[in-house]
Amino acid sequence: MRIVIAGAGEVGTHLAKLLSGEDQDIILIDEKEDRLSSLDSNFDLLTAVASPTSIKDLKDAGAAKADLFVAVTPDESRNLISCQLAHKLGARKTLARVDNYEYTLPENKEFFTSLGVNSLIYPELLAAKEIVAGTKISWIRQWWEFADGALVMMGVKVRENAEIINTPIYTLGTNLSYHIVAIMRDNETIIPGGSDMIYPGDLVYFMTMKKDISTIRKIAGKQDLPEVRDVIIMGGSRIAVRAAQLLPDNVNLKIIEQDLDRCHWLTERVPSGVMIINGDGRDPNLLISEGIDHTEAFVALTDSSETNILACLAAKRFGVSKTIAEVENIDYITMAEKLDIGFVINKKKIAASHIYQMMLDADVSNVKCLTFASADVAEFNVKEGARVTRGIVKELSLPHGATIGGLIRNNQAILVNGDTQIEPNDHVVVFCLEGMIKKLEKYFN
Amino acid sequence: MIHFRSIERIIGALLLIEALILLGCSAIPLVLKETDFFAFLASALATACAGMILVTLGKKKGKENMVSRRDGYVVVSLSWIMFSLFGALPFMLSGTLTNFTDAFFETLSGFTTTGASVIPDMDSLPHGLLFWRSFTEWIGGLGIVFFTVVVLPIFGVGDVQLFAAEAVGPTRAKLHPRISTSGRWILTVYVVLTIACTIALKVSGLGLCDSINHSLCTIATGGGYTHNGGIEGIHSALAEYIIMIFMFLSGINFSLLYLALFKGKFGNLLHDTEFAWYAITCLIFIATIAIGLFTRTDYGIEESLRHSAFHVISMVTTTGYVTTDLTLWPQSLWMLLGFCMFLGACAGSTTGAMKSVRSLVLVKIMRNEFDRILHPNAILPVRMNGKVLSQSTRQSILSFSMFFVGIIFVSWLLFMALGLDMDVAYGTAVASVCNVGLGVGGMGLTISWAVLPVVGKWLAAALMLIGRLEIFAVLILLTPGFWKHH
Repeated sequence: MRIVIAGAGEVGTHLAKLLSGEDQDIILIDEKEDRLSSLDSNFDLLTAVASPTSIKDLKDAGAAKADLFVAVTPDESRNLISCQLAHKLGARKTLARVDNYEYTLPENKEFFTSLGVNSLIYPELLAAKEIVAGTKISWIRQWWEFADGALVMMGVKVRENAEIINTPIYTLGTNLSYHIVAIMRDNETIIPGGSDMIYPGDLVYFMTMKKDISTIRKIAGKQDLPEVRDVIIMGGSRIAVRAAQLLPDNVNLKIIEQDLDRCHWLTERVPSGVMIINGDGRDPNLLISEGIDHTEAFVALTDSSETNILACLAAKRFGVSKTIAEVENIDYITMAEKLDIGFVINKKKIAASHIYQMMLDADVSNVKCLTFASADVAEFNVKEGARVTRGIVKELSLPHGATIGGLIRNNQAILVNGDTQIEPNDHVVVFCLEGMIKKLEKYFN
Repeated sequence: MIHFRSIERIIGALLLIEALILLGCSAIPLVLKETDFFAFLASALATACAGMILVTLGKKKGKENMVSRRDGYVVVSLSWIMFSLFGALPFMLSGTLTNFTDAFFETLSGFTTTGASVIPDMDSLPHGLLFWRSFTEWIGGLGIVFFTVVVLPIFGVGDVQLFAAEAVGPTRAKLHPRISTSGRWILTVYVVLTIACTIALKVSGLGLCDSINHSLCTIATGGGYTHNGGIEGIHSALAEYIIMIFMFLSGINFSLLYLALFKGKFGNLLHDTEFAWYAITCLIFIATIAIGLFTRTDYGIEESLRHSAFHVISMVTTTGYVTTDLTLWPQSLWMLLGFCMFLGACAGSTTGAMKSVRSLVLVKIMRNEFDRILHPNAILPVRMNGKVLSQSTRQSILSFSMFFVGIIFVSWLLFMALGLDMDVAYGTAVASVCNVGLGVGGMGLTISWAVLPVVGKWLAAALMLIGRLEIFAVLILLTPGFWKHH
């Protein structure tokens, strides 16, 4: 598969690295040679100094034969034009990064397809969605819904008071209303077997059905944590604006922004219930006067990853149960995790995983890239005669590092254990270590 | 820089239009064989002559062709005054009003859609003059919608952006960028509403003359009567309901009415913050007064509701129609109606007074003050229809409100100095500034405007004009800086 990526910015570079490990033909183009030079020597990909909007350059880069053309320069209009050019030249699928909510509305999809742009990606919107999902329930670190919410996967940090710790998983019983799909411990992702144990401080990923969320809350020892009613966002970025628009009405949101002009800019964009505060979000006096002590969630979204991490630590000290930090510097992510910041948002990773999904051959409708766990979650539609249908799950000898969490059959969510028989047309949710999705595809086709 | 030639030319052209209207009115006595034919014909001729002279004087010469923003302000105030000057002629020439002050007051009250009258005996008035009286209000109403929706945004100062709702104003997202097009659709809405009202009233059983006159005065929210007893003389609950509905409609921003009626965009109307506020304030006042009437007078439920609704809408839209002697009501309810007069309906309608949009912004600003005490660092915007109002707009609204209240207080004092009782003086001041034509204390109801001394009538006339043209458009002419060259 030939993939052309235009724009070697943060998203483009991260995506190129991600895909280069996948045995794909990656061509990364950018006008600035210095952005490309370090990549060229270290990764298995081709780089070219070329303008994304030059017809000749696109031809030279092989956009005409590309299976996927991705335009992720910082400039929205250039991305759109670049995609249109590539489409006319013969690229099969095109994808553009945009900065405009209106463009991403479902009713405009047809319109952009007719322009030659198959997909649009708006990283700020995706990040905002993650934040909103993260604040929905404060004791859950990460939260994904599959098949319109019938199946839920969530990451929960367990402490000493949890019921399930220090005992082998098989002793928890069979026929449980949940399925432990992964454990994240000291930067290592474990796909657990029956004999593995959970220790305090582990981040445990459960797959369950919506009605059983309260069970998870009980076994993870999280019953005393409050519902999120008050949220403070520090830093009035575009993600903050999007999050303000997406948060439910019953949540009181305050945005703290240091720059006065930016504050006025914000007032014109956020819904009327949101209060804009002009000040430094690291100032404890300001935080106290704005009621940090009865705030359930604190989100730090300034341009500086360091500031965000520190502000979240400070908020933790005030007793905020849920903190979310935007960390754009990928090297900091592990560190942020060690410091016990609840949840880390990274635009690049979110955008890259979203794009990654597009290049998959199989009918994968949703790939999630887990920021902490170097793991992927994918949804597959099981085809007639696929290998997974040949026996019950424990006899399939699935590759090590992959587990089937649950499936949707006739709109009914079913949790999967070793004795489950998978049938054609099932919608299966698979949890696997990073880069294994390609290997798993052949089981489902 | 004031371009007098341009002003002369425009005023002259407007007078020629008035002459045509007067000529049209002369057809009524001609058909009905009444006595006032000569009065109309002579007035039309005089107006036409004056118009011709002004147009000739103002003939284009080089640079004098241009119209500046300052000229605009002069033209607006002057057009109302000149229209009233010449519009007073039929009243004087027919002998109905012998005094120039009275005739001018009567006409200006019409053109400002105030509806205050000094005519002693309405029933004896010939049909032509009755129609002319109502028609002055109708023209005034049309003029004011045109002024607020089309002209003010071109001036583009202060809070006027609020008047041209969302989709219309020439300064904002343009419905029709050209003035003439905007003018044409305003006229269409206006005429359609008037015709609908006339037909509805006729069907409800009113006479043709009453139907036409009342619908002209209702749509203009002027509130002119054809009988001595006012609407009371009609004795038809159905007609009251019809007038109520059309008064309410005329209180809506005409840009929104146009979008709703002709483009089917009812969503714009229903989601408009100002309209919602207008409707809610009306409902609250109607409910309060209805309860008051039901418990403290011997009205039944339907009667309490009808009287309450009719008078609240009549006062909020500054029409000033009454169906019963309000002075006999409990004083607190009467005073509540007095408060309704202050509020006014939507901007960009034919109504006078503060306007809903301003009272809403004031309420929001006041609420923000409390938030500011609790959150000293918060940036607290004021939003209308989801858009944040600029600092200067907020300031304009605050200073407008201060001027509005200040003018009422000063004129209240002046009326008292002229010998009116305290409550009557207050009512007179509010009735004039808010263009209601009816005031607390009984002015315009049990007391005729004719009792005002000559100075009082001129004062009231001045207040009507100031109130009608959004205060600043008139007061700016009184500042010395306006007339300086630089």
